Amino acid sequence: MTPAVSYALNKLLTDIARQHQLRESVSDEEMTGHALSEPERAALRAGDIGRLYELGANPYLIRRVFRRRFTS
Amino acid sequence: MAEIVAAALTAHAPLITGKPEVGKPEQRDRLYAGFREIGRRLQAARPDLLVMFVNDHLQNFAYNNLPAFCVGLAPTYQCPSPGGAKLMRLQPRTVRGNPEWAMALLEAGLEAGIDFAYSYEIESWDELSVPLSFLMPQGDVPIVTVYTNCAAPPLPSPNRCREVGAFVGEHIRGRAGAGRVALVATGGLSHWVGTPETGRINPEWDHRVLDHIARGDIEPLTRLTRDEIERDGGNGGQEIRNWIALMGAVPGWKGELLAYEPVAEWITGCATVWVHP
Repeated sequence: MTPAVSYALNKLLTDIARQHQLRESVSDEEMTGHALSEPERAALRAGDIGRLYELGANPYLIRRVFRRRFTS
Repeated sequence: MAEIVAAALTAHAPLITGKPEVGKPEQRDRLYAGFREIGRRLQAARPDLLVMFVNDHLQNFAYNNLPAFCVGLAPTYQCPSPGGAKLMRLQPRTVRGNPEWAMALLEAGLEAGIDFAYSYEIESWDELSVPLSFLMPQGDVPIVTVYTNCAAPPLPSPNRCREVGAFVGEHIRGRAGAGRVALVATGGLSHWVGTPETGRINPEWDHRVLDHIARGDIEPLTRLTRDEIERDGGNGGQEIRNWIALMGAVPGWKGELLAYEPVAEWITGCATVWVHP
């Protein structure tokens, strides 16, 4: 079974990862123009790494962008 | 005819070189010794080419274009790229590719029904840079890369990885002229990266994989499903596809385990294995 994949989340996180930037959260401004659902926007705004995973963000991208949110 | 003169399997993880100080000294030293011993044996085999079975971490291939298998045609590789150098605490350096050799592999694959994608520009992360910093500190042997999708499901099946590896092995042995080719696969073993279980390691599963490699008995590994690997080895465990591809290239060869350490601080079950006839 392929896990849930959100193309919109992965597209945005790929853009940020490729600028080699670390984030605690993602601003509304940065989400402009991305076809994100409201739950996806809320999770990005909160930097909620567990919720982003559930919503179909690739875990490697979550790790790259939100590295500071991980305790290990 | 060209020959395969050496083969090895190693872990890759950015923190292996990026945060050596956080690892327990005895674990770190044993693992580093394993890497260096592979380096010593590789150099003693005097290869003139390194074929590397590795995987992208979405730094090259994004969700708008995700190849299952991709041959690198890059003339050079930044190992690491400037973007990854700080995280891996390695000096950026340039390692030569071998585009002519890679093109011949690509063309032979397409001719034989192995529909590789290809790329003229590869950004290297830990999959190349970390192991090569130990294995080829001088960076004097050119590399050819075969990237397998291990990070963005759906993924190619482990058995297909074995078949692709077998094709690469046959291609090498069928090439005219004297060539001394070494094979290196990197990745694994169990690790959970970016998931809610980040930091988990499963040494029991790692040892099961290593036992199969030691016996040269990879058939049971080729039957694993993505879900089974995810459950026992995590999303990072999917990288054993690179190891399976290499073992497919050298049927009958067996693994000699040089080091295995479940390094909690690097969130990875780390192994170095020498593979021999």
